[in-house]
Amino acid sequence: MRVGADRERCVGSGQCELLAPDVFEVGDDGAVRLLQEDPADDGAVRDAVQQCPTGALSLGDAP
Amino acid sequence: MTVAPEDVDLSTVDLSDRDWWARPAQERHAALDRLRAEQPFAFFAEPDLPGIPAGPGYHAVTRYADLEAISSQPALFCSGRGAVSMQDVPAELHEFYGSLISMDDPRHAKIRRIVSKTFTPRMLERTLDSVRAVVDDVLARARATAEANGGVVDVVTDLAAPIPLRVICDMMGVPEEDRPGVLARSNVILSGGDPDLIEDDDPLTAFLTAGMEMAALMERLAAERVADPRDDLTTALVRSEVDGERLTHQEIASFFILLLVAGNETTRNAISQGLLALSEWPQERARWAADPSLDRTAVEEVVRWVSPVTWMRRTATRDGEVGGHRFTAGEKFLLFYNAANRDPAVFADPQRFDVGRDPNPHVGFGSKGPHFCLGAHLARRELQVTFRAVFDQLPDLEVTGPPDRLRSSFVNGLKHLPARLTGVR
Repeated sequence: MRVGADRERCVGSGQCELLAPDVFEVGDDGAVRLLQEDPADDGAVRDAVQQCPTGALSLGDAP
Repeated sequence: MTVAPEDVDLSTVDLSDRDWWARPAQERHAALDRLRAEQPFAFFAEPDLPGIPAGPGYHAVTRYADLEAISSQPALFCSGRGAVSMQDVPAELHEFYGSLISMDDPRHAKIRRIVSKTFTPRMLERTLDSVRAVVDDVLARARATAEANGGVVDVVTDLAAPIPLRVICDMMGVPEEDRPGVLARSNVILSGGDPDLIEDDDPLTAFLTAGMEMAALMERLAAERVADPRDDLTTALVRSEVDGERLTHQEIASFFILLLVAGNETTRNAISQGLLALSEWPQERARWAADPSLDRTAVEEVVRWVSPVTWMRRTATRDGEVGGHRFTAGEKFLLFYNAANRDPAVFADPQRFDVGRDPNPHVGFGSKGPHFCLGAHLARRELQVTFRAVFDQLPDLEVTGPPDRLRSSFVNGLKHLPARLTGVR
């Protein structure tokens, strides 16, 4: 499962880091950093993408 | 006493009247239920504010779905014309007191990202021990107070207020001797004009004076940090740059005030009214106290139940339609989080306090959109540590009287909540 992040839209709320800490982290610049770009298909990752307050995260098919 | 929605006379309900917000919770929720079901975009006139021309009024948004639709479209429903006042106050006033809250992207996102890392779950994990130490100390002092007073304590002043005050002041680097002043000014800024919290002046003068005094504190601390940087948020604000430019003094002061005030008031009211809810739902209290694995869901339920911030405002930037309501540019919408949090379309049995509620997609930290609460993870942590510590260290805490409610539409606050420790003789 491929995950994308729009770092301009991100406000660093950290909801993704709470839900799926192995995949997402708020970086030192305050915006999201992907720790893995192709994580295993996982309910927590889907929740994190769906619940992002700013809609900065997206899901796509793995290449 | 139960108040059913059909018992409410909607012609007597004025969401702009701060005295209405001091009425019993059941009565307020019954009225909000009626509004949500019958007039989901009810129109209210704005209260008078001395020196400000009367504005056009606002729509009260009470359905979860409408609130989410508005909150998640920040380009169509902006915050930059004021998010924390019903009235259109002068820009310099709402910018100063609203800071990030009354700002739109892209500047909002850039300024928020200066501090967002500090409030993430990973970073806060490191401060867990210090939060525990603060809570343990506050609870020990509350027991000592009770022992000196025949068992009597005040849940607000002895427990709920000092915990978040000390945690946020530690993070900001506010010295011990300045903290009572921070608490007093924070109370005035969010008093909603409640006369109990404003001693001498008229509310507007008191509000402006409190803001200036907080700005003066920040100026002093900022000057110290320039000479002697520390590992605190005040240092981060002083050193930060956005688009290659330092923040202005005014922006730093305003951000500093926001962090202190928001960090203080909201968590305080979640603690005090969470404890009130537990006294009203003793089976839920027993269930949570016996099972630490419920800490996560129970804290979310406290935030849903209390909804510490009652509303935020958005202003339409152009004509459009939302939830069947056609609007024109400039129309104002107040997002009533407390009403959305009891919308039966989303929450099963919404008037029931259920510490195991899951899922619980409440909007107590705000709904979708860039303004989602910056301090949500900190608040969750403070609440989990506090309630668990109360169960362990103050198991004999018993609420003994009705709450003394803050007369504010904006903050769902308590000024006092009488209690006693039944183990003290």
